Amino acid sequence: MKRKIGLVINPIAGLGGTVGLKGTDGLSTEAREQGAVPKAGIRAEETLSLLRDDPLHFLTASGAMGADALTDCGMSDYTILYRCSDPTTAEDTIAACKEIAEAGADIIIFAGGDGTARDVLSAVGQSLPILGIPAGVKMYSAVFATDPIAAAALIREAGTLPLRDAEVLDIDEEAYRNGLLTSRLYGIARTPFLRGFVQHAKETFFGYLDEDRERRDIARFMAGVLASGRPFILGPGSTTGAIAEEMGLPKTLLGFDAYADGTISLADLNERSLLAFLHDHTDTRLIISPIGAQGFVIGRGTQVVSPAVLKQIGYEKIIIVATESKLRATPDLHIDSGDHALDCSFPQSVRVICGFGIAQRRKLLRSV
Amino acid sequence: MQTKIYLDEENLPKTWYNIQADLPSPLDPPLHPATGKPVGSADLAPIFPMELIGQEMSTKRDIQIPEDVREILKIWRPSPLIRAHRLEKYLKTPAKIYYKWEGVSPAGSHKPNTAVPQAYYNMKDGTERIATETGAGQWGSALAFATSLFGLECTVYMVRSSYVHKPYRKSMMQVWGAECIPSPSPRTASGRAMLEKDPDTTGSLGMAISEAVEDAATHANTHYSLGSVLNHVCLHQTIMGLEAREQLAMVDDYPDVVIGSVGGGSNFAGISFPFAGDILTGKAKGTEIIGVEPAACPTMTRGLYEYDYGDVAGLTPMLKMYTLGHEFVPPALHAGGLRYHGDSPIVSRLVHDGIITPKSYLQNEVFEAAEIFARTEGIIIAPEAAHAAKGAMDAALECRKTGEAKTILFCNSGHGHFDMSAYDAFHAGEIIDYECPDDLIKESLSHLPKMRG
Repeated sequence: MKRKIGLVINPIAGLGGTVGLKGTDGLSTEAREQGAVPKAGIRAEETLSLLRDDPLHFLTASGAMGADALTDCGMSDYTILYRCSDPTTAEDTIAACKEIAEAGADIIIFAGGDGTARDVLSAVGQSLPILGIPAGVKMYSAVFATDPIAAAALIREAGTLPLRDAEVLDIDEEAYRNGLLTSRLYGIARTPFLRGFVQHAKETFFGYLDEDRERRDIARFMAGVLASGRPFILGPGSTTGAIAEEMGLPKTLLGFDAYADGTISLADLNERSLLAFLHDHTDTRLIISPIGAQGFVIGRGTQVVSPAVLKQIGYEKIIIVATESKLRATPDLHIDSGDHALDCSFPQSVRVICGFGIAQRRKLLRSV
Repeated sequence: MQTKIYLDEENLPKTWYNIQADLPSPLDPPLHPATGKPVGSADLAPIFPMELIGQEMSTKRDIQIPEDVREILKIWRPSPLIRAHRLEKYLKTPAKIYYKWEGVSPAGSHKPNTAVPQAYYNMKDGTERIATETGAGQWGSALAFATSLFGLECTVYMVRSSYVHKPYRKSMMQVWGAECIPSPSPRTASGRAMLEKDPDTTGSLGMAISEAVEDAATHANTHYSLGSVLNHVCLHQTIMGLEAREQLAMVDDYPDVVIGSVGGGSNFAGISFPFAGDILTGKAKGTEIIGVEPAACPTMTRGLYEYDYGDVAGLTPMLKMYTLGHEFVPPALHAGGLRYHGDSPIVSRLVHDGIITPKSYLQNEVFEAAEIFARTEGIIIAPEAAHAAKGAMDAALECRKTGEAKTILFCNSGHGHFDMSAYDAFHAGEIIDYECPDDLIKESLSHLPKMRG
């Protein structure tokens, strides 16, 4: 008997990412105006295309919420249980999930971010397992596969894998845009588990005395390195924030800022302004830190660094910084730029500056 | 198939080999930390006995081992030279691998080879107490053992991270009657200054040296003792290489490759100097001498060959050596004995002259090698010794590629019975591969004003 897989795509998820907005909640129109292209459907198709030959029957919603992606992948073995509105809203996600659960799905897979995860969870609770295909701006929740390819592997094995509790977190987007990273636990979902395939919930490390000190050591060292006057870009996070503070420079905690000639040139860059800066400053270095406990160096909340940006900068000009505390919580680092071939061009292991003149070598994992 | 090669006790060497006699030009002298002028015997007299000061500066080739010292060394010496048949088979190498096994000493490492003569000369000089530092605890326990034999008091400043993680080394010191203090400590002015700067510091060998030197310099009845780096320490350790050369001769062999791990450089000096001397005097050609160090503290492979202080506080004479800077605090490695910012001046000179080839390894690959060694040869070795074992295995694997049946000798400097928590961490996947971002370090230094000439 074919397994029944629920599929829900949040078509507007991830829209804010490429234009430097921190989340899309309530801003989808603004994001579209700034040139953002919907991509949740594309991410879902990356997963679905790997499952064409599997004996699966999909229960889904109409149009951009599921049926279109299945059709695009040449898959016709599905039932539409819900007709969505246009544009779609959170209520559409919740209603569709309820219909799918009632129809007896074995699992619901969804393409979106933390906001979508919250909606799915509120509809089905722990009545059936859920699994996220990463497509949002914020993905602090532990229900996401590390990338669309890993999601396919998990769906294929889902009947035989153990389930575990997975926190669904979301952060306050309004506060997030104002530089405050506060996450809130919305509930516990059940998700299939295979080591290395599912993200751990991101943790925020505020008030951690040990880590403050580690961060300071990194900042002192990097301030010395960056004092040469070469242009550089600091990515989001508190470690890169500490570097700016050490150098007496302003910094957007959750955005990318560009610096040249010892002063800030552009604050809170989006992909376009970042590319423009790189065009004018060819010798620019990028200093980034994996955010939270996910271990994503590229991808997830750092989508400003698109494949085009990465190609322009070049791997050798990227300096990764992270505290030892953070590295303990994230044994492996991940890359998911959205361009699998580009991800594969990165080395198998990377150097991470973790103290004053000290680095660690860490594995960099990509799609399996 | 012979496995162990033993020398009779009467063939225990009667002299140490002083490689300073065979250097093509004299070593650059140590410089006084205050005046910047070469130090003389009088400068060192407050902290060392005269006999050791003489050995430090001597250019005499063979230096007599006192009979009283030889008698004590006989408790475990001559140490066995062991052919690693099972490891060779595992590696499918045509190479012959021999290791000098120093884990048979009472303290479990090569360190008593110099602790015993140092305690002896201090006793002769009327010293009542010796102050010293220790990293992983190998040296502190060796000196505690040696001072107990001559009725001297012993105070050991132990790097704090090791004091916490290797409590049994501390216990050994106490059994032999020594006092062991975590460093930096409030006991000394330099320790207090370091604690004020950073109360949570893990400590380092450089900090502990500052404390022990200060202790000795400020107490008339107390001398200082160093477990590595200095010329006389390297001299005492040559007993290992001298024995090994005799033992290999007993089976008509001579090494093509000689390998040791390098922290301060004394165990490496001990195994390799007699063979390096053969190269310098033209008795041997083509012997490859490899010093192995951790990638996280890569003095020889990434450091600068410059004058630098031996300690953090700048109390010691400045030595011409490969250094990462005396303020460099290496990450908390499991091979704590290899966490030193500098190197023996003689080892450094031989690296600089191309007699010694330096090599560095990451922690995980070293533990992988240690485990292979334990599962083939049976002995669970210290992480420090495992660096040398890893170097030997790589040399043997190179022979597998080229088909050469080289003779490889390495110094297996000690057992790892007090390092089992490190092995546990390895099994749990928790060993971190630290490395040195030397390109960024150089960049950060390049635009700083020169502080000192």
